[in-house]
Amino acid sequence: MDLPCGTRNFDYTSDTAVLRTKTHWLLLFLLLAFVFTAPLYWSNYWLSIANLIGITIIAITGLNILIGYCGQLSIGHAGFMAVGAYTTAVLTSKLGIPFVASLLCAGLMAGCIGIIFGLPSVRVKGFYLAITTIAAQFIIIWVINHWTSVTGGFVGIKVAPASIAGFTFNSEPRQFYLIMTITALVIFFAKNLARGRVGRAFIAIRDNDLAAEVMGINLTYYKLLAFFIGCFLAGIAGALFAHWSRFLNAEHFTLADSILYIGMVIIGGLGTTIGPIFGAILIRLLQQGIMYISPVLESAFPALPAGFTTGIGPMVFGLVIILFLILEPRGIAHRWTLFKAAYRLWPFSY
Amino acid sequence: MAELLQYTITGIAVGMVYALIALGFALIWKSSSIANLALGQLVLISSWFTYGMLVQAKFPYWLGFPLTVLFAIFLGWLIERLTLRPLIAQPILSLITVTLGIAYFLEGVVTFVWPMSVAALPRLFPQEPVRLGPAVVSQEYIWAALVSLLLFGLLSLFFKYHKMGIAMRATADDQLAVQACGVPVTSVFSTSWMFACVVAAIGGVLISCIGGITYGLVETGLKSFSVVILGGLDSFVGCIVAGPIIGLCENLGGGYLTPLIGPGIKDIIPFIIIIIVMVFKPYGLFGEKRIERI
Repeated sequence: MDLPCGTRNFDYTSDTAVLRTKTHWLLLFLLLAFVFTAPLYWSNYWLSIANLIGITIIAITGLNILIGYCGQLSIGHAGFMAVGAYTTAVLTSKLGIPFVASLLCAGLMAGCIGIIFGLPSVRVKGFYLAITTIAAQFIIIWVINHWTSVTGGFVGIKVAPASIAGFTFNSEPRQFYLIMTITALVIFFAKNLARGRVGRAFIAIRDNDLAAEVMGINLTYYKLLAFFIGCFLAGIAGALFAHWSRFLNAEHFTLADSILYIGMVIIGGLGTTIGPIFGAILIRLLQQGIMYISPVLESAFPALPAGFTTGIGPMVFGLVIILFLILEPRGIAHRWTLFKAAYRLWPFSY
Repeated sequence: MAELLQYTITGIAVGMVYALIALGFALIWKSSSIANLALGQLVLISSWFTYGMLVQAKFPYWLGFPLTVLFAIFLGWLIERLTLRPLIAQPILSLITVTLGIAYFLEGVVTFVWPMSVAALPRLFPQEPVRLGPAVVSQEYIWAALVSLLLFGLLSLFFKYHKMGIAMRATADDQLAVQACGVPVTSVFSTSWMFACVVAAIGGVLISCIGGITYGLVETGLKSFSVVILGGLDSFVGCIVAGPIIGLCENLGGGYLTPLIGPGIKDIIPFIIIIIVMVFKPYGLFGEKRIERI
């Protein structure tokens, strides 16, 4: 199928391997070497963008498991991230719990809240579920804004930088290593989840839930599991975001962010492991590009309206989402597969 | 007592406007089963457009309002023609997310053209408050309820007697049969979008007469989802019954729970209702029980 020409599998181990050829291993090694030496030649500005991209990849990998594999639309993902972020913020700064434990707690907390709001998914789907998750987003943000004694309310809350066994991740390069390690682990986890029993059950539910049930898949269990895993990863991403930005308020987790995350998953490619990576990188770089170019344009053309700088971003993202849905609904991941196939068959691509 | 009466009247009045906006949703859902999540942004952009016409361009009312309606019709046509027609027969996920994309885009347009975050429409209705028994209600609420009721009446007459209205009901019933009868289904779709945008625009103007034009209008649009959910997705009667219920819950709850729980509870009551309805009666009060039970 998607094996390079001339590669065959002679035993079960090689059939189930993620990396099939020596070139795969070499490319992976080069990529990891590149990523983990990046702080040597990247400035702090680019490292902070890379950190944000890493956090986003974790979050939308979770969203991809929920939407892309299990077919359950969630428009409250930023809300679930907020749950994770505030959990770790409160645990580390007010109760003094170590970072690793609070990271896991953040994930578990977000996962449990996700299960609660995912409960309607057992009975309804499609638009109904979308509305429920929008409601989740609003309820979570309202609780954060009004539970002032714990979350700091509208003012926000300060978060200490992450630290493991006395080593504090207090600069961009250090955080870069932390975030990239967790991102790599999450991608590996997602890849294996999708190939295993759970992932296949998710895909069966997405394609036809009645047929899946007839095949013996416990719908309630797997749908709630999808919500748990998706929101768990959102919680982890939120926790990393909290320790990375060191300051939280509800403005970081708006409905617009939730929509943007869905946009990233779609642009990257639903139901693929590599899709979220493409989507996150593309949209975040686009954001940076717009942030860089819009003041330049504004000073070059004074005739532009005053809302140009703030308004151009949402316009571009909305347009990108719409265009991808109409022109390439399978996302960049599909183009990437086509490219790989062409590369393998070259120069005899008939 | 006076408090209770006041909350009730304002609640019903605001609920009528929610019902009007929700009607726009139900229209599109019925004819083309597309869930329009850009409702809030449609409300927002048409309110700002009215502001642009009446205040910025200083048009008189008799010119400004028809222009707003024309703008809404054009917007509905544009959205249907450019984004939804290429996606006919795509999975429901794409249809929902494309309206999210539209929502994002419209929000960008609003910040682009009207960067100020708050504005007020000129006074459309008389100012002096009305005394209804012990309660004092400002006239805007009463006018909003009356206009919504009037539009509701007009729309139901349209659906009952006009050729296009009948075609729209038929499309909702059975798309294939309608196509076989020679009704142009695509034009039914765009008409339903135009209607939805127009009622969203009128609802937006009514709400912003009461509370001014703010970003909160998006939430108003989202709140009307709770109306559709409670009333049943494809039911016009459901909208007009559920709208005042939601408005009542919101105002009574906001009035009496705020001292107990805290400010802002008013804004999330509709969302809590959504969750409750979803768990216990997902097809709503009047909805067709066609929803696939799993």
